[in-house]
Amino acid sequence: MGKHDDDPAWSDITPLPTSEGGPNPLAAIAYTEEYEDTMSYLRAVMASNGFSPRVLDLTEDLIDMNPAHYTVWLYRAQCLFALNSDLHVELERLNETALAHQKNYQIWHHRNLIVDKLDKCEGEQGFVQRMFVKDAKNYHVWCYRQWLVKRFGLWEKGELDFTEEMLREDIRNNSAWNHWWFVVNGREAEGVAGVTDPDSRAREINFTKDAIAKAPQNQSPWNYLRGIARKSGISLAHLKSFAEQHASLDRPGAVKSSFALDLLADILGKRRVATSKLVGRMICWR
Amino acid sequence: MTSSQENEDDTLDELLKDKARIVELSDDEDEDDSMAGPPFPGNHLKQPRRKRKSKLQPQPQPQRKVLEIPPWIFDTNELFHNDVKTPSRHALDKTAAECLRFLTLLDTQGLPLNSHGLPHLRRKPHADFLRFFIGPLQTGFTAMDASRPWLFYWCIAGLSFLDQDVSEYKERLIETVRPLQNPAGGFGGGHGQYSHCACTYATVLALTAVGGLEVVDRKTMWQWLGTVKQDDGGFRMAVGAEEDIRGAYCAMTIITLLNLPLELPPDASARKAGLTSFTDKLGGIGGGPSNEVHGAYAFCALACLSILDAPHISIPKYLDIDALARWLASTQTTPEGGFAGRPNKLVDACYSHWVGACFALIEAALPGTKDGLWNKAALVRYLLTCGQQTGPQGGMRDKPSARPDGYHTCYSLSGLSAAQNHYWYDSESSTTDAGSGRLLAAFNWQAKRGTAEELEVLKVDEEDVVALIHPVFVLRLEAVEAARQTFEAGGL
Repeated sequence: MGKHDDDPAWSDITPLPTSEGGPNPLAAIAYTEEYEDTMSYLRAVMASNGFSPRVLDLTEDLIDMNPAHYTVWLYRAQCLFALNSDLHVELERLNETALAHQKNYQIWHHRNLIVDKLDKCEGEQGFVQRMFVKDAKNYHVWCYRQWLVKRFGLWEKGELDFTEEMLREDIRNNSAWNHWWFVVNGREAEGVAGVTDPDSRAREINFTKDAIAKAPQNQSPWNYLRGIARKSGISLAHLKSFAEQHASLDRPGAVKSSFALDLLADILGKRRVATSKLVGRMICWR
Repeated sequence: MTSSQENEDDTLDELLKDKARIVELSDDEDEDDSMAGPPFPGNHLKQPRRKRKSKLQPQPQPQRKVLEIPPWIFDTNELFHNDVKTPSRHALDKTAAECLRFLTLLDTQGLPLNSHGLPHLRRKPHADFLRFFIGPLQTGFTAMDASRPWLFYWCIAGLSFLDQDVSEYKERLIETVRPLQNPAGGFGGGHGQYSHCACTYATVLALTAVGGLEVVDRKTMWQWLGTVKQDDGGFRMAVGAEEDIRGAYCAMTIITLLNLPLELPPDASARKAGLTSFTDKLGGIGGGPSNEVHGAYAFCALACLSILDAPHISIPKYLDIDALARWLASTQTTPEGGFAGRPNKLVDACYSHWVGACFALIEAALPGTKDGLWNKAALVRYLLTCGQQTGPQGGMRDKPSARPDGYHTCYSLSGLSAAQNHYWYDSESSTTDAGSGRLLAAFNWQAKRGTAEELEVLKVDEEDVVALIHPVFVLRLEAVEAARQTFEAGGL
């Protein structure tokens, strides 16, 4: 007997047990009795679209047992909103779950829904930073951060400082470079120019060149440089002398970056050369 | 670490840090190394070295071992200015180190080798592994309770890629998915779960693989898709769930295989807006507008476009192909030779499909492109030497330090097929069915096995070659064709 069968709070509900899918179902999982029991009650209550505090308890239990259960998250969100629950408390709970389950992305959509409903983002930038301590490139967390910036207009509320710190920790963090680009250029639709503005472009180019000087064999800033050129409409040829500082077709011993070579190849009109192929073919001396 | 392993590490370090001059390399590794002049790259490596074998893997091999190391394996980053170590660099170095002993064939892991010295594709152990992965599963798999359709697809499709007969799964699969199909349409991850684009996609593909699509309620499926379709042309993954490019690809796959009525004409400006906004400053593709570019999303976008119209028409219309081709090619890692999902991230065998399978689609859109966008031999070598789990259980894995699973097995096989076989688009065939309005572009792909000469270059024997796999739907071609015929008439 599962724990809900004896619980008076659930006495009005007849659980819907799992329909196995035939006598010999594929990928049949040996659920624990507790999981099977809890799911059976959830199925029953979802069938009547019931929202109540006991449903919050039920979904919390299921999330503990299987945080990847997207249906449970979606139903929980509906329940929270229907009951006008304290969403701050929910955020606290979410923090614990998120830190414990790095790869889970249902959590981030749920957080999105909660924070959007709250219409306030206090503490969010800070929490996101805590997540990045564990994994500085967590894709869904970076997507969430972009959403926060856009949703709450955080463009000039410490985003560049934060991103610069991330890049200081790891100049090869491509997610951070992507975020940097977003913060600089993300408001074009609102009339705030990014690198299409000459001053901004000059600043960005210098920033990127400095980063390259620190680690020339690093794809991210070279991509960024190309992005600046493309976005602002300047020809790649302008970057020729810079690229030559890190690679030279005449002096193979001076090659410090395959990405510099790649850029030179493009500038000189040889298109579509895969970097790996280029590296396999180049002449270099140690 | 055993002392024999330490010796091998030292040997590797010596091999790769040796200050020999390296001359321009040709594709032919077997070049005569007795030539005068600058030492040929292979020379200093071809000295007899005594390799001590681990006690666990006694191998009756000759005392002298000649390592022919392909050019791309030289750790590129050692050739350049030694720049600052960062967490990324540490992670990249660690992965390279774990792979090098296998890539160089210093350690062949006790595996049976093909005629070129690479491990054979372990067809039977991998098939056994997939059969196990779809079998009854232990409690630890509870975390997959919302993803069971993926298990159906990875295992059944994977088995079919290994030329196994999967018809035995037809009846069982049909019965298994009945409780997953919701009365309001679509499939969820399990009984009582909301319908979800990914679960529905995987279920439909698995059913296609076994010829069991009759169990799908096409009418309610169509209605359900209408509830997740967005104004901007995209699709949410489920009602109330997130919207990203996966949704569009999943939905278009379902609509096209099942021949459901298409509500928006392919050129709807809404759809165009949806797709172009996913590309970034350099033509790469992320999950959503302004998100970081990622290989998996690139495949979803390219495959989705290849469903909407002929690839040479739809892809250039919405994407910068040159930039995308460059970006995709740049994700092939050195020294491993596999693909990473993002710049400065680690190689992972699953990207053998998410990136590797993009090239057939891209090449169909690039006029006059032949080989050269990516290094097929390097991918094959990575998968055969680093991707295969040893031991009776088999399976394929992300990288040597990872455990094998159905996902990586399925997509590694797809990557191998992309490297070993040829895929092209038949631009003579029509792209829309006049009667039912069905988009036909995705059904116009042709494929053939690599030639004997090409397989030589890839260093594979015939038995290491994976089946022909449809570039858009990632199933055997005959399964896709059967689905096309089944719902030819259309309607609901």
